Amino acid sequence: MVTLKQKMRSLIDKGLMSKILIGIILLILIVVPIIRMLVYIDKESFENVFGSKLFVNNLINSLTSTAVATVISIVLGYLLAWAITRTDIKCKYLFTILITLPMLIPSISHGMGLIILFGNNGIITRLFGASNSIYGFWGVVIGSVLYSFPIAFIMIADILKYEDQSPYEAADVLGIPKIRQFTAITYPYIRKPMISVVFAVFTMIVTDYGVPLSVGGKFKTLPVMLYEEAVGQLNYSVGSVIGLVLLVPAIAAFLFDLFNKDKGNASYVQRSYHTKTKWRDPLGYTVVSVCSLMVILVVFSFVIQAFAKSYPRDLSFTLEHFENTFSKKGGKFLVNSILIALFTSVFGVALATTTAYLTARMQSKSSRLLHLMAIVSLAIPGLVLGLAYVIVFKKSFFYGTIAILVLVNTVHFFASPYLMIYNAFGKLNENLEEVGQILGISRPRIIFNVILPQSKYTLIEMFSYFFVNCMMTISAVSFLATSANRPISLLINQFETYNMMECAAVVALLILVINMLMKAIVYLIKKVGSKYVDKKSI
Amino acid sequence: MKLEVKNLSKTFDTKEAVKSVSFGVEAGEFLSILGPSGCGKTTLLRMLIGLITPSDGQVIKDGVDITNAPPSQRKMGFVFQNYALFENMTVLQNIEYALKIKKETKAIARETALRLIEKMGLTEHKDKKPNSLSGGQQQRVAIARTLALNPDVILFDEPMSALDVATRLALRKELKDIQKEFNTTMIYITHDQEEAFAMSDKILVMDTAVAVQLDTPENIIKHPVNDYVKNFVVENLKIKIESLSKYIGVAEGDIE
Ligand SMILES: Nc1ncnc2c1ncn2[C@@H]1O[C@H](COP(=O)(O)OP(=O)(O)OP(=O)(O)O)[C@@H](O)[C@H]1O
Ligand SMILES: [Mg+2]
Repeated sequence: MVTLKQKMRSLIDKGLMSKILIGIILLILIVVPIIRMLVYIDKESFENVFGSKLFVNNLINSLTSTAVATVISIVLGYLLAWAITRTDIKCKYLFTILITLPMLIPSISHGMGLIILFGNNGIITRLFGASNSIYGFWGVVIGSVLYSFPIAFIMIADILKYEDQSPYEAADVLGIPKIRQFTAITYPYIRKPMISVVFAVFTMIVTDYGVPLSVGGKFKTLPVMLYEEAVGQLNYSVGSVIGLVLLVPAIAAFLFDLFNKDKGNASYVQRSYHTKTKWRDPLGYTVVSVCSLMVILVVFSFVIQAFAKSYPRDLSFTLEHFENTFSKKGGKFLVNSILIALFTSVFGVALATTTAYLTARMQSKSSRLLHLMAIVSLAIPGLVLGLAYVIVFKKSFFYGTIAILVLVNTVHFFASPYLMIYNAFGKLNENLEEVGQILGISRPRIIFNVILPQSKYTLIEMFSYFFVNCMMTISAVSFLATSANRPISLLINQFETYNMMECAAVVALLILVINMLMKAIVYLIKKVGSKYVDKKSI
Repeated sequence: MKLEVKNLSKTFDTKEAVKSVSFGVEAGEFLSILGPSGCGKTTLLRMLIGLITPSDGQVIKDGVDITNAPPSQRKMGFVFQNYALFENMTVLQNIEYALKIKKETKAIARETALRLIEKMGLTEHKDKKPNSLSGGQQQRVAIARTLALNPDVILFDEPMSALDVATRLALRKELKDIQKEFNTTMIYITHDQEEAFAMSDKILVMDTAVAVQLDTPENIIKHPVNDYVKNFVVENLKIKIESLSKYIGVAEGDIE
C-alpha cells in the first residue's frame, strides 16, 4: 500500500518544489520582461515604424552588411578550422589563442581599431596614403567580420573535430578526387551544423550596435536605430518594434537548433587522418597567419594609441592617457565592471548549476519545460533584453544599481554555461544519488561532496565565461547603466563621441588584459589540477 | 537473517515489469536470479533494496515488513553494474565516507576501512582514484564500500557484464571467497547460465516478468519445471558444452 504521505514524499524527492521555484525565477527573469516589452508595442508606433523610410532603409542596410559579413566570417572561420584540425602546421595552440583574442573585447572596439588603422589619421592610411573613408558599408562589414570570425572558427572547428575520418581514407584508396569527396562526404555531414553556425553568426552580427555605431557614419542599421531611439531619446515604443524585428532571426536560429540536435550524437574520433598534399601546410600557415595578423593589427592599434603621447605627431611613450582615463571616473567604472562580473559569475554559476541539476539529474516531465526555459535566453539578443529590462524596471528602486546589471547579464549569458554543466552532469555516473540513498548519504552531501567536485573544471569554465562576457558586453547593459553603476565597456563609445580615441583605446586594452588574466588563471588551475591528479595516480 | 518476498509486482504506466514474484532466501545463501534481457531482474532487485516502490506485494526481512522502508535502513548492500564509485575520492575515502557520515568516530571509520582494504587485497591501491584501477579492482572497492556498513545481504546487478572473460572467471571465485570470509548472504543477477551455475547455492529462473523455478542448480538440471526452463537453461548449457567438448573430449553425458 502506498500511502498519501509516501506519494507526497516521492513527489518532493523528484524535486518538484525546487523545480517550481527555479521555474518561477527563470520566468520572472527571462519570460516576463520579454512579454512586457512586446505588450508595450502599440498599433500606432508599429505602423509608424514600418511605414517610415528610415526604418526600411536601415533594415536594408542591416541585411546587406550582415549578409556580406556573415559570408566572409564563415569562409574565414572554415579555412581556419580546416587549418587547425586538418593540417600539421606548428604552434596550433598559440595561433588559436591569437585568433580568439577578439572574443575578449567589446565589438565596438573593433570599429575603433578600424578607425585608428584606416581613419583619416589612421596608421595604414598614412603609410599607404589611401584616402577612401572607412566609414560606411565596408567599415561595418570589416568591423563585424573582425569580432565574429573567431566565433565562427570555434564553432566550425568543433564540427570538424568530431567528423569521422574513415570515409576519406576509403575514398582515397578508391582514388576519388578531392572535390568529389567534399560534395559526397564532407557536405552532407556538415550541412546541418553549418546552417546552425550561419544562423548564429548572422544573428550575432545583425543584432550588434557597437560596430555600426562607431564606424557606420551615415550608414545606419536597425540596432543603431534601436539604440538611438531607446537609449538616446527614451522612445521605448519605437524601440520595442525594432526589438521585435531583431527577435526574428534569433528565434529562427533557436528553433532550428532545437529541432536539429543530431550534432551531439556524433561520435568522437580520436584518430585524425589527413592526406598530405604539397600545398596543404603552406596554405594552412597562410590562413592562420593572415587572420592572426588582422587580430594583432587591431590590438597593436590600441597599444600605439594608448601609449603614444599624441599619435601620429608624437610617438614618445606616456601613461598620460591612462591617468586621463582614470581621472574621468574610469577607475570607478572599472571597479563597477569587475564587481558586476564577479557577482554575475557567482550568481550565474549558482543558478545555472542548480537548474542543470534539476533538469539533468532529477528527470521528470517537468524537467523538459525547465530545460527549455533555461536555454530560451539564446533566442534573445542583448539589445532586446536590455530594452525589456528597462521597460520593466525603469521606475523601480532597482534601476541604477549594480544588482540590476548583474541580473540582466546573468540572463543574457545564461544558456551557454547552463548547457556546459547540463552536459557535464549528464556524463556523470547515473547511480550516484542512489548509492547515497543506500549508504545513508543525503542528496545534498552527494551533491557537494561527489557531484560538484567531479564537475569542478566545468564550474570554473562557467565562471570564466560569465566573467569575460560581463567585462566586454555593451548591449543589454547600455539601457540600464547610470553614472552610478556604469561598467567600463560603455566608456569606449562615450570617449569616441568626444573624439578621445586615446582613452577609448586605454579602455579596450584594460578589458583585454583583465580578460586575458582570467583566461590565464583558468588555464593554470586546470594545468596544476591535472598534474596533481597524474602524480597521485601513478 | 531471512528474506521473504511475497507476490511482489511492479507496473510502469501500463507495462508489467514484475508480476507477483515470490521466493525466500536463507542466511548465508548465494542466490542467483537468472533470466533473459528485459525480463524484470533489475526491477525486482531495485524493489528489494527500496529504490523502486512496488505496486503490490511485500518484502519481509527477519519477520519485519520492510516493503516501504528507506533503502538505508534495510541493512542491505547493493553493487551496481557500473559500480558507481565516487571518482573524486581515493579508494580509502570511498570506503570510509558512509561510515564517517554515520557519525562513527574518525578513528573507527578509518580502522574499519583499512581492515576491509587489507582483506580485499587493495592495500597498495588505497590512495589511488578509482579510474586508475582495473575493472576487477573497482568491483572490489564497490563491494568493500558496501561491506563497510556491515549489511546482512548484498545485492548484485550484473556486476561482471562489463568485464572481459578472464577477469570474470577470476572474480567468480573471488566473490565466493568474499562470501565465505564475511559470511554474507548474496543475491546475484545474471543472464549468463554458466555464471549462475558456477556460483549459486540456489537459482531463481525468470521468464518475462514472472518467476518460474527456484531450486538448486542440480535440481534445475534434473527436473526443469517446464519447457521454458528446459530450453533457456538446460539446452543452452548443453550447447555450450557440446561446442567445447569436441576440443577437450568431454562426453555429453558428463553434465548429469
Ligand atoms: N522506469 C521504467 N519505466 C518504464 N518501463 C520500465 C522502467 N524500468 C524498466 N522498464 C521495463 O520493464 C522491463 C524490465 O526491465 P528490467 O530492467 O527490470 O529488465 P532486466 O531483466 O534487468 O533486463 P537487462 O538484462 O537488460 O538488464 C523492460 O521491458 C523495461 O523496458
Ligand atoms: Mg538489468
